Amino acid sequence: MGILERLARRELVVVTGKGGVGKTAVSAALGVALARRGRRVLVVEVDPRENVHQMLGVAPSGGAIVSAGPRLWVQNLKPQQVLDEIVREQVKVPFLADRVLASAIYQQFAAGAPGLKELAILGHGFRLRRRGRMDGETDGWLGGTPGAPELDVVVLDAPATGHGVALLAAPQLVAEVIHQGPFGRLAAELARLAADPARLGVAVVTQAEEMPVEEALELRTALAARLDRAPELLVVNGLYPPVYPHAPRAHAAHDAEDPLADLWRRRRALNERELARLLAAWREGPAPSPVLELPQLPADRGRALTEALAGCLEASAAAAGEAGWS
Amino acid sequence: MELISARHPLTIFVGSGGVGKTTLAAAAGVLAARSGRGTLVMTFDPSLRLKDALGVGEEAREREVPVDLTSLGLGLGAERGRLDASLLDARRTFDRLVERYAPDADSRQRILGNRFYQHLSGSLGGILEYMAVERLFEVAAAGRYDQVILDTPPTRQALDFLEAPRRIVGFLDSGALKLALKPWFDAEGRLQATARWGGLGRRAERFLDEVVGLDLLRDMAEFFQAFAPLYAGFRERAAAVEALLAAERTLFVLVSGPGEERIPDTLFFARRLEQAGYRLGPIVVNRVHPRNDPRDTAAGAITPAAATDPCRPDGRELLRWLGERDHRGLRSLADLLPGRPLVSLPLLAEEPTDLPALAALGEDLERRLAAL
Repeated sequence: MGILERLARRELVVVTGKGGVGKTAVSAALGVALARRGRRVLVVEVDPRENVHQMLGVAPSGGAIVSAGPRLWVQNLKPQQVLDEIVREQVKVPFLADRVLASAIYQQFAAGAPGLKELAILGHGFRLRRRGRMDGETDGWLGGTPGAPELDVVVLDAPATGHGVALLAAPQLVAEVIHQGPFGRLAAELARLAADPARLGVAVVTQAEEMPVEEALELRTALAARLDRAPELLVVNGLYPPVYPHAPRAHAAHDAEDPLADLWRRRRALNERELARLLAAWREGPAPSPVLELPQLPADRGRALTEALAGCLEASAAAAGEAGWS
Repeated sequence: MELISARHPLTIFVGSGGVGKTTLAAAAGVLAARSGRGTLVMTFDPSLRLKDALGVGEEAREREVPVDLTSLGLGLGAERGRLDASLLDARRTFDRLVERYAPDADSRQRILGNRFYQHLSGSLGGILEYMAVERLFEVAAAGRYDQVILDTPPTRQALDFLEAPRRIVGFLDSGALKLALKPWFDAEGRLQATARWGGLGRRAERFLDEVVGLDLLRDMAEFFQAFAPLYAGFRERAAAVEALLAAERTLFVLVSGPGEERIPDTLFFARRLEQAGYRLGPIVVNRVHPRNDPRDTAAGAITPAAATDPCRPDGRELLRWLGERDHRGLRSLADLLPGRPLVSLPLLAEEPTDLPALAALGEDLERRLAAL
C-alpha cells in the first residue's frame, strides 16, 4: 500500500509547516488526491482569507462546509465559534448560554487558556468525522455537527503561527489542567487521537532551502520528544525542475550569455544541495517516513494547479514506492 | 529615498514569514555600519548560516554581541562603523520585565512559577511580537547606538505585530484582571460572578466549574493577583512602546514576496501601518524573478527533452512564467499603492549568507532606492 493510500485511511491528516512553504497548496492537492482514492474528504483551513477555497476553485464560503467536487468539501474554521458551539450544546438553555458566553470569565478563559484554540481546531475535524458513526455511544456534542456530510478523512491545513507541534500537543496540555467536563473529555480523547499514527497522520511541508529544511528537522525532533511519534509524510514543495541530464552541458561562458539557464541551473543546484542534506538527516533512525517532491509549476493558483499538483504527488508517491521509501 | 538616515535612527522590518526579512535587516545593518554609524541589528530566529555570517551564537540571546567586520575592511570594536547583533527571545524578555517590576522576591517567584504564566507566552497571540518591540524600547532608551534595526517575528497576520502593545494593555485591562483584584471565590467557595445570578447562576457556576476546570481558573486568578502590583508599570510601558512605534524617528520597511498572491498581505500590512499612524518607508518586493532578458535568445543551451511530463516543466519556461507573474504583481502593487516608494530586488542564484554578500545586498537595495 502506497503512502497516499495509507493516509486515506486516517481520520485526520494534519498538514503542517512554516509560513511561505506552500502548505495550503499541498493541503488542497492532498485533499484532491485522497478523494481520488474513493474517500470522502473535507479540507479545513483556519484563515479568513480562505486560500484553500481559491486553490480548489470554490468561492469563499465564510465558514460553511461547501462542496468542491466529488467526495470533496472545504470549510474555513473559526476556532472561537467551535468553542461557543460546544458551550451552547452543553448549556441547553439559550438565555443561560448567552450569559455564560458573555461572561468575563468565559471570555478570558477562551482567549487566554493555553491550548484551547488549538483544541477547538483539532476537535472540530474529529467531531465532524464522528457524525453518524457513533450513534450508540455519543453523548450529544461529541457526536458532531448537524448538517455536515458524512466524512472519511479530514485534511487540516494547520495555522502557520507557531510550531506545528503546539497544535498537536495542545490536547495533552489542556487535559493536564482540565480534568472533567466537555473540554476535559474532548482533550483526553484528542490526546489519544494525536498520539495514534493509525488514526491521525502528520504531513510536514517544507522547501529545499536552508531555513525550511532546519524547521522540518526541528519539527520531527519535537514530535518525537513531545508526542513520541513521527510524521507520516514529508513533502518538499516548490522545487525548480531538474536540469535534463541528457542535454549537452552548457559551458560557463555560455551561461553568462544565457542568464535564465544559469539561474535555473544554480537554483536547482541549491535545491539539490538542501534536499540531499534534508534526506540524509531524515532517513536516519528507524522507519523514516516517505519524502515526496513537488515542482513549481507555471500556473496561477486555482483548481487546475491543484489538480496538477495532486497528479505530481501521486507520481512522486509511485516513484518513492518503487525506490522502497514508501 | 534613503534606507538609512539620521532622521530615522530606528528601522523596523516587517512582512509575512519566509520573505527574507531577516536577511534584509542584516544587510541594512551592515550598510549602516559601513556608513559610519554605530549600529545594532536585533533579529528573530536567523538561519544558522546567517548567525555564522554575523558570528553570533547563543550568547546573543543575553546581550549585544559585536560583529567582526574586518572582512569588509572595518576593524572590530571601532567606535565608528561598529555593528552589534542580538537575538530576541520573547520568554527571557518577559521574565526580565517581571523581575524589574515585581515589588519583591516573593511576588516575582509567584508569577514566574505560575502554571498559567508558563503557558502564556505560547498562547496569548502577539506576546512574541510585543516582546520584540519591548526589547527595542529598552535598547532605544539606553541610547548606545546611532542606528537600531529590528527584524520582526514571522507573522502571517500582520495585525499581531502592530496591535501587540494595545492587545497587551487590553488583556491587562480586561474583566478577568478586574475580577482578580476582588477575590474570585466567596466564603462558600463559590465564584463571585455567578453567585449574583441566583439559581441560574448556580447552574452556570457548575458549568464553568466543569467546562473551565477550577484548577485552571485558580491558576489564572492567582496569576492576575500576583501580576496586579506590576500592572501600572507594565501598562505605562506598553503605552510608551506604542508611542515609540508612532514616533517621527521610527521608520517601517515593508518586505514582500513576489507574485500576485502576495499582494493582499502586503496591501493589508501597508494600510494597517498607515491607519495606526506609523511611518511607512520603502516597500521592498524581494526575490523577484527576472523578466524578458533581451539576451535571452540562446535557445538550445538546455533542450526541453521531457516536456511531456507535466511534473517536470522546462526550467526556462517556468522562469519566464515566474518573471511575468512577479512583474504583474509589481505593477498591481504599484497601482494599488500610488506614490509609495516601491523597489524590487531580484532573485539571486545563491542566498546571501556571508558578510560580503550581505554588504552587496544592502548596497543594491540602497542604489535602487536612490534611483526612485
